[in-house]
Amino acid sequence: MKKVLVVLLMVIVLTVPFALFDALPAIGDTASAPNNHVSTHYIENAIKECNSPNMVTAVIVDYRAFDTLLETTVMFLAGAVVLLVLAKKPALKNRILIPKSKRMHKDKHGNPIYHTINKDVMITIIQPLILVYAVYVLFHGEVSLGGGFQAGALIAMAYILDVMVIPDKKNIFVLSKKNSVALAGLGPFIYTLVGIICMIGGGLFLEYAKLPIPVHTAELHSIGILVVEIGVTIGVAATIITILNAIMERVTFDDDNY
Amino acid sequence: MQTLLVEAILLLILIGITLAIIFGKDLMTAVIIYCAFSFITMFLYIVMGAPDVAFTEAVIGVISTIYFIMMLRSIDRRCK
Repeated sequence: MKKVLVVLLMVIVLTVPFALFDALPAIGDTASAPNNHVSTHYIENAIKECNSPNMVTAVIVDYRAFDTLLETTVMFLAGAVVLLVLAKKPALKNRILIPKSKRMHKDKHGNPIYHTINKDVMITIIQPLILVYAVYVLFHGEVSLGGGFQAGALIAMAYILDVMVIPDKKNIFVLSKKNSVALAGLGPFIYTLVGIICMIGGGLFLEYAKLPIPVHTAELHSIGILVVEIGVTIGVAATIITILNAIMERVTFDDDNY
Repeated sequence: MQTLLVEAILLLILIGITLAIIFGKDLMTAVIIYCAFSFITMFLYIVMGAPDVAFTEAVIGVISTIYFIMMLRSIDRRCK
């Protein structure tokens, strides 16, 4: 009886979208409702109003700046909550890890397995390329595709490579648990600060055209977008590193007093 | 029409990958196939005309796979 009910429910849930599939507008349909109200305004005025050739960046960081501000805050909260959940010492019966002495994977020569990753290639070739590309993506966010989120994730990826290839504390740049959470909070802080500086200049919150800097009005939008993107980059990179730190912390918790 | 065809092929591959993740016996295999899932999703976003989203998906897919592999390496629990 229960199975019949589940199957019936699934059939109903699956039929509704298929029945409505024809009612949905085609991709890129110029006559559909979402293409006729607000997006035409964005397409016609994005370059003129925001001085940003990439319309996606103009919409994300300029027209809908509030949205992105709260999104960055949500990312910070998510990282902090992951840290809170994972950094709690688990009860003995809930431990899932096996002790480090038994966990050491050895290759056929008897070395720990992580030494078989080619350190030279990872650190001397791939990591600098990732970092250079991250900076390129950050500063060209308003011209080509990319922006704060992607640049932050790329920087965090370079950090993860560093930690995973050399798992000791020999890295050039180590972010502790506390520092990474603080940095993750710094991202939304910079974003909000830009908005408040705009208010000091006499505009609304996050109205980049009223920034109190003596340059041309068209340039102000570029400067505002760039500073906000830097804030988003710091927030995203630090959030990902926070989650990494939380996982590391959990592993050490399970290891002692096994 | 051609875009629709490409989309249909990608979606079919996605369904196959999802079934492989669900019914796979080995956790590590499931994680690697999950990486393929985000790869195919990236192509889907490109076909739909959203390269920004595709870029984000590519980077985040790699990072989440790294997290899964880190946890799997430490729990050492592989299904047989």
